[in-house]
Amino acid sequence: MAEYHLKAPLTEEDVCKLKLGDIVYISGEAFTCRSRLQKYIFDEGNTLPFSTADRNVLIHNGPIVVKEDGKWRLVSFMPTSSIRFEKWGAKSVDEWNLRMIVGKTTMGDETAKMMKEKKCVHVSPRSVSPNLWIDSIEVQDVYLYDELGRIEAAWFFKLNDIGPFIVDIDTEGNNYFDALDVEIAKRRETSMEELGIEHDFEFTKLY
Amino acid sequence: MIKTDVYEQVLFETVKRGATEISPDVRDAFEKAIAKETNPDAKNGLAATLNSMDMSKKRENPLCVDTGWPIFYFKVGNNCELEGGFVELENAARRAVARATEKGYLRATMKHPLTGFDPGNNIGMNIPDFTYQFVDGDGIEISYAAKGGGSECFGGTRHRIVAFADGIKGIEKFVIDSFVASARAGAVCPPSVLGIGIGGTANVAANLAKEAACLREVGSHHPDPMFAKIEEDLYKALNSLGIGILGSGGDTSVLAVNVEYAYTHIAGIACATSTNCMIARRASARINADGTVTKMRSPMWFGDR
Repeated sequence: MAEYHLKAPLTEEDVCKLKLGDIVYISGEAFTCRSRLQKYIFDEGNTLPFSTADRNVLIHNGPIVVKEDGKWRLVSFMPTSSIRFEKWGAKSVDEWNLRMIVGKTTMGDETAKMMKEKKCVHVSPRSVSPNLWIDSIEVQDVYLYDELGRIEAAWFFKLNDIGPFIVDIDTEGNNYFDALDVEIAKRRETSMEELGIEHDFEFTKLY
Repeated sequence: MIKTDVYEQVLFETVKRGATEISPDVRDAFEKAIAKETNPDAKNGLAATLNSMDMSKKRENPLCVDTGWPIFYFKVGNNCELEGGFVELENAARRAVARATEKGYLRATMKHPLTGFDPGNNIGMNIPDFTYQFVDGDGIEISYAAKGGGSECFGGTRHRIVAFADGIKGIEKFVIDSFVASARAGAVCPPSVLGIGIGGTANVAANLAKEAACLREVGSHHPDPMFAKIEEDLYKALNSLGIGILGSGGDTSVLAVNVEYAYTHIAGIACATSTNCMIARRASARINADGTVTKMRSPMWFGDR
């Protein structure tokens, strides 16, 4: 597996070379997003109050940011589970022209399909390590703070080589976890056997 | 009588400690997991997580950005007297959570379930949550647990009534199926502390599972060999799956499997799981009747464990 240190905004070429399981570190401009932002835009018909043309890395995250001496300070940061935002995933990739989504877990089939079409990847962390990241993230600005609240507002971050993140959806729409699922399912069969649970065990139907 | 300012300060410090300091037993489990991990990426991930958690203690910042549902457990001496009584204890706990949120130890995570309204201080209808247990004595033991959104939302917490016809096999199959589905792609933030409740009505089983996940000392075993065997068998089975840290592959998928039980109806066995994320946040302290305070290594909610 290769390791890349990428600089945002990302180009099509930057992301098309990434293979499942590759490790990436990211620098440059990104913004945060949670469900309230996507609901506000896609379900409630509002317009995103900023351009994503030069800010095409979206991080699923609700950070802790405090204001000290007139400046924002990032207290904690950890990508949150992307899968819960699947409803708006494809729309976000399509309408915001994203090249990368950073989030825990992964996205579903509809988003993967759009990622293939529009050439975008999903990457996820392999640790819960906010303290290894917060010193490398500068809080630049915030949008929709009053409308969406402190956690679910769109925060503008400038990243300085943060990672490692693993590529779990590539620009062909393949998912890293699909292959892992097959291996886990095989081992699960062995575990069940060792516990004496028959291959064809079925629960007595109570409801 | 224990004064309000004494227990309010203990409540605040316990919330802060639970949010910012890894428990010693969880830390030990991490060190063991790092030592035996054979997947280099998983080993790095575990080490990075432990490194970040150690930094949180020094920096006094949250172990994870999701500071979870605020949950209090009170083990109360039968002769314990509190200034203002137990209504004031709960008010003081709410004030402690609000203060911890203001100080940045907690993220303002609790919101209205329908409107999405964010009170900004983690206080709202039925939140924080309070559970009591009564014992002999005149002191009070206060435990704070933070249940993360990932650990609670992705199927790591669920219940099923298992027929007596299916017995232990049914219980174990239910647990394995639930865990594999919920840990996919790291949704419940494995390696998990997996709590299992067996017996009682569904809510009794669910509460036992949550308490087993959030309060049992990691590395402890159920004193009844029948339940200790379920813990051991499932620990081995789940750790052989290769799910690993954040579901990306690795040798350690659970840090512990803790089972607690209640007697049940002849009609069926309520079985519940509750999955706690890898950082398994909690903190406990004891206030004696004379107002002296002792920090506790772990809650000891279930007597010796």
